[in-house]
Amino acid sequence: MHVTQSLELFPDHKVTQVLFRDVKNAAELRQSAVEGKINGALINPTMLVHPFQVLVAANKAVHLDKIGKMKTRSLYSEVIFNLSPTNNISEAFKRFGISDGDDCVLVVLVQSTDESQLLEEITAKVDGRQVPVEEISSLSDPAKIKKLYKVSPLEEKCGTLLDAVVCRMATKDVM
Amino acid sequence: MAEESSMAAAELLRQAELLKQGAEARLYRAVFLGRPAVVKQRFPKRYRHPVLDERLTHRRTVQEVRSILRCRKAGISAPVVYFVDYTSHCIFLEEIVGSVTVRDHIASTQETHPNPERELEPLADGMGQILARMHDEDVIHGDLTTSNMLLRSGASDLVLIDFGLSYISALPEDKGVDLYVLEKAFLSTHPNTEALFDKLLKSYAAASKKSPAVIKKLDEVRLRGRKRSMVG
Ligand SMILES: Nc1ncnc2c1ncn2[C@@H]1O[C@H](COP(=O)(O)O)[C@@H](O)[C@H]1O
Repeated sequence: MHVTQSLELFPDHKVTQVLFRDVKNAAELRQSAVEGKINGALINPTMLVHPFQVLVAANKAVHLDKIGKMKTRSLYSEVIFNLSPTNNISEAFKRFGISDGDDCVLVVLVQSTDESQLLEEITAKVDGRQVPVEEISSLSDPAKIKKLYKVSPLEEKCGTLLDAVVCRMATKDVM
Repeated sequence: MAEESSMAAAELLRQAELLKQGAEARLYRAVFLGRPAVVKQRFPKRYRHPVLDERLTHRRTVQEVRSILRCRKAGISAPVVYFVDYTSHCIFLEEIVGSVTVRDHIASTQETHPNPERELEPLADGMGQILARMHDEDVIHGDLTTSNMLLRSGASDLVLIDFGLSYISALPEDKGVDLYVLEKAFLSTHPNTEALFDKLLKSYAAASKKSPAVIKKLDEVRLRGRKRSMVG
């Protein structure tokens, strides 16, 4: 049910996404993440259009890590930061990280190709129901997404909402 | 460390299909994050001073992605930007799958159609409209040719590409020169298309509120061009 994609630019890295619904311990999970006890990004899926959005964020995070130019302290916080259209780190966490009351969580792992036990370790911590990652699209809130990324109806004429979002994420450093 | 990342791009491109070798950049086809993509890589020009070259290359890369975003925000089709690597000067873009260049489309229509002029009129209209909208956003493309416009497969939908020489300007003169560059390229690439290009300009004029000043500048630039060629 989870989705794994290897990064063409970094062939020894792969990104795994696991989606949970009916999550009962979001507060506890968030606390563990803040304490650095979770080796993954815990994302609130309502601001996601599609799993591809996460891949774009993860690829950029690994790239910036390699060149020593991350804006945040860890690879996982960098993934969350890269999802956001602005350069405000705490706002990125507020919008894209999980909050204590959330009942849906997308767990994102960036692994080297030989660490597979990590997935089970993290999913064991989530008290919730694992569902196919493709269900992200049914959990997302297009109105809120359009507002946050400032996507006008005009832009949607020349592409999808995903296109608009990905384009902003990829270019935000020079806008 | 920067070198390591440049190498990541170089490694990927080594196995990618080279689509075009230009004077400033190479264009590759590759799969990126599981999707069909094209990668535009600018390379160093050895005759330039390294520091100056680096700065110029960086600026062109930035300008290119800015213009793409500006166009898309205004509803003008251009490829989605997936990733920009400023260390290796690579832009990873959506591949417009199954598209043909306007250049190839015009050429094949001229070969196969009994009345190509008539057949291509809607396309000329469309080109005039999309360029008018681009100029109304103050985007100057900088290298307009029929090879830098794509037709999506099975659609009359135009996509503008290659914003490598683009910049932002509200000056009618810059827009007029943009059109002049296209006119030169258009008429020399496609024989007997004067009427068709005229159609394009009429459609441009009708679609843009600011067109009178631009067309006036275009006329001036044409005159200058002619005078220059008379002097030799
Ligand atoms: N949703 C999350 N997923 C992964 N790590 C997180 C998350 N929220 C917070 N963190 C980590 O905890 C650090 C401090 O978070 P905070 O104090 O909430 O801004 C961040 O820099 C991250 O490394």
